[in-house]
Formats: sequence, structure tokens, C-alpha cells
Amino acid sequence: MTITGSQGPGSDAMTNPDIRQQVQAAIQQAPMLSVSAGKLMQITSLADHDIKDVIDVVHNDANLTARVLKVVNSAAFGLMTPVVTLDRAITLLGERVVVGIAIGDSAGHLFQKSLTGYESEKGDLWRHDLRAAIASREVARRGRADVSADLAFTAGLLHDLGKAFLSDFMENTANAIIERIENRDSADYLKAEEELLGIDHAEAGYMLAEYWNLPQPLQMVIRHHHYPSEAPEEFRPLVYCVHLGDIVSMMGGCGTGADTLQYNLDPDYIRYLELAPNQLAEVMLEVDEEFDKISGSIAESKENNR
Amino acid sequence: MSQIILGVGDLGASKAPGAAVKTFALGSCVSVILLDPRVRAVGMVHVALPESKINLQKAAAKPGYFADTGIPKLLEEMAKLGCNPRGQGMIVKLCGGANVMDPNDTFNIGKRNALAVKKLLWRYGMGAVSEDLGGNFSRTVSVFVDTGDVVLSSPGRPDWKI
Repeated sequence: MTITGSQGPGSDAMTNPDIRQQVQAAIQQAPMLSVSAGKLMQITSLADHDIKDVIDVVHNDANLTARVLKVVNSAAFGLMTPVVTLDRAITLLGERVVVGIAIGDSAGHLFQKSLTGYESEKGDLWRHDLRAAIASREVARRGRADVSADLAFTAGLLHDLGKAFLSDFMENTANAIIERIENRDSADYLKAEEELLGIDHAEAGYMLAEYWNLPQPLQMVIRHHHYPSEAPEEFRPLVYCVHLGDIVSMMGGCGTGADTLQYNLDPDYIRYLELAPNQLAEVMLEVDEEFDKISGSIAESKENNR
Repeated sequence: MSQIILGVGDLGASKAPGAAVKTFALGSCVSVILLDPRVRAVGMVHVALPESKINLQKAAAKPGYFADTGIPKLLEEMAKLGCNPRGQGMIVKLCGGANVMDPNDTFNIGKRNALAVKKLLWRYGMGAVSEDLGGNFSRTVSVFVDTGDVVLSSPGRPDWKI
């Protein structure tokens, strides 16, 4: 192994199996998702679920109900009359935003972590993931993928959480990793992580997804989002949606630091998605528009909570 | 020091001593930087897509978002500072236009942005004296009124100038 951080846990003293075990231990210490977030993900991952089931889950969680109503009534949605019923709020927001609120609330500490190992700032991970979520949904919708667009949104939101665990072991490594990729010693940032630590962020995320007992499609997206062809065939349409959604988010300038755009595009997406290259411009535009709306409303409703 | 921060699709210009215009994290977006040595003014537009025809409403609300509406609007803004409205005598610098790693260049939005910007500039008889386009990394860029320096940064890399 030739890359080492100049200090910190990425230095010579540590061997790869140690880091892998430490990442695993850190994941086992992570707080569980809220019961509501878990249930919502289980329900919405089923192709033929009923929106009433979503409403029921929110209805039984007073905090989540309050948050959903605050988001829908925030200035960003610009509604003329206040929404007071949950049914109407969820219909207006769409279930993906509701799932997003539940996930954001119960795993907010991970999304808001500063990924210093990637030379990234606090808030970058949440911004990148939310943009990837919107982009994945748009790719699913416009690309006529045989998957639920709402599930693509949730998968996009969760795809990079492994970085929150890997970052601590990657202090002062960005420079060396970039050099390795430019010299073609590493194929991309994911491979470099694996070469450096014995584990990459996709696998760390997959460990978290297993620990959280996320639905299988979400686990597969998290594990294979950089190499979708390695996913089992039945999950590939969804994994390719997030593969592209992640890329759109990075191209739009919202990455997570030094690894931004340092990944390969898998051109086999055309086997699963009817997406002409020029349609990507439309997706990018849609992401910019919707991101401002959703992130503004969620942030605003959180501030009101304080 | 006053700093004008530009988001995606924003544009800004200044000739205030000590001021700077800055934009964060250009991915496939292209930043067009104009420097007018005579008026001692600088301007920048953060272009996201090549052509406004895909969404005219967006172009009306945020002309800087597209190359074909952003550059004329930037010239208009700079004319308010006393610069030539056709850009005569201005120095042009370009940066951004990155892509993900893809040998087939499938989603070449960065490249198309750069080309659209250059074509538009040619119409004014303008060409870039220096550029830093393409690659697989994001760029943050600042231009300073006092020195005319254009400074770029990217996580994991030392800062550089163009």
C-alpha cells in the first residue's frame, strides 16, 4: 500500500483489516433510524403500496406530523391557504418528500457531518444527497425506467452515507488519491478508498443499510451505485438511476469535496434507461429548480422548530 | 473586502476597489470572466447550460443560467459600470466545464457549455486569453478588482491562477 495520510488514523500504524473493523464498529454505534422512517422506507419500496399506508405512519408520529405540516406550509411552497390535514399535505408534498423529511430528521447527524477526510464542508453531504435524490427520480421518470420514481428518490438520498463513516479514516489523503487517479494507479476514488483502507464508502454504506435493515433494493443501490453492473439483475434499473443521479449532482457542482467527479460513468445504463444525452440538461435544470424549493422548505421548517 | 458571491446562473460585476467576485464549485458549469483594464472593472457569469431554448421562462428569470442569454446580460451589467457594451477592450478568461470520468464523453454538458460560450463570444469578436476547462474536478473561482487576478481552487489541490 503506497497511499497513507500524513497523520491520523490513515497513517502507517494502521493496517487495512483494523480500519475495516473500526468502520464496522462505528456503524454498530450509529443511532437506529426512527421507527417511522424505517416503516416509510419499507412501505414505499413496494411497487403497489397504498398512499394511505404512508399517511397512517405519519399520523401515528406526532413529531413527524408536525414537521410535514410545517414543510408544506413553508414559504417555499407558496400556498395561498394553509394546509391543515395530513392527507392533503402528503398529497401536495409527494411521498418522497415525506420519506426525505423522516430520514433527514432521524439521520441528520450523519448528513450534516463535515467530511474532512474528503476535504468537504459541513452540509455538503446533505446537499449532494438531496440533489442526487431529485436527479435519480427525474432520471427514473424521464428514462422510463421500470422502477418507482419515489423509490429512486429515497435511494438517491441514502446512497453516500458510507462516506460519513469513512471520512474519519481519510484525513490528509485527498492529495495523494487525486495524484494516484491522475497517474492511473487507481481507477477512481472508490477503488482508491479500497486500496487505502481495505473498504470503500459503498461497502460502508451497505453495512449501515444492513444494520438499519433497509429494504433490499435500497441496500443494493448503496452497495453498487458506482458499479451498477455488479448489482443483481433485478435491481439494476434502480441502481442505474442512482448511478446517473449521483453524477448529475456532481456535475451540478454539488459533490462532497475532493472525490467530486472522480468516478466512472457506466455506459450500460442505456440497457435500462431511455435517456438521450441531451435530456440530461433537462434533468439538471429540474434538479436546480426543485432543490431550492425542497431544501428551502425543510430548512425553514427546522428553524421554526427551534 | 466586499465580495459578490454568485450561485448557479448568477452574474455580477464590480469596479469597487478591494472587491472580488466569486463562485463556488463549478462542475460542468462554465464561468465566463471579463476584465476591463480601462475601467478597472471585473465581471463574471456562472453558466449552467448552453442554450436558453430548453426553458425560456428560466432564461427570463435567470439569464445567467444559459450561455446565450448570460453573456449579453453580463455585458449589459458591465456597461452600467462604464465598460464598452460590445466588450471592446475586455480580457476574457474561462474556467469550469468539467465532466465525470467517461471515455465516451456521453454527457458532455461541460464541453457543450464551453463551446456555446466561445461561439457567443466570437460573435462579439472576443476570445479567451486564458482558460482552464474540462477535467474531472470541481473548481471554485474568484476574480479580484484590484489585481485582475483569477484564482482557482479545488479540494485536494493547491490553488492556481489563470
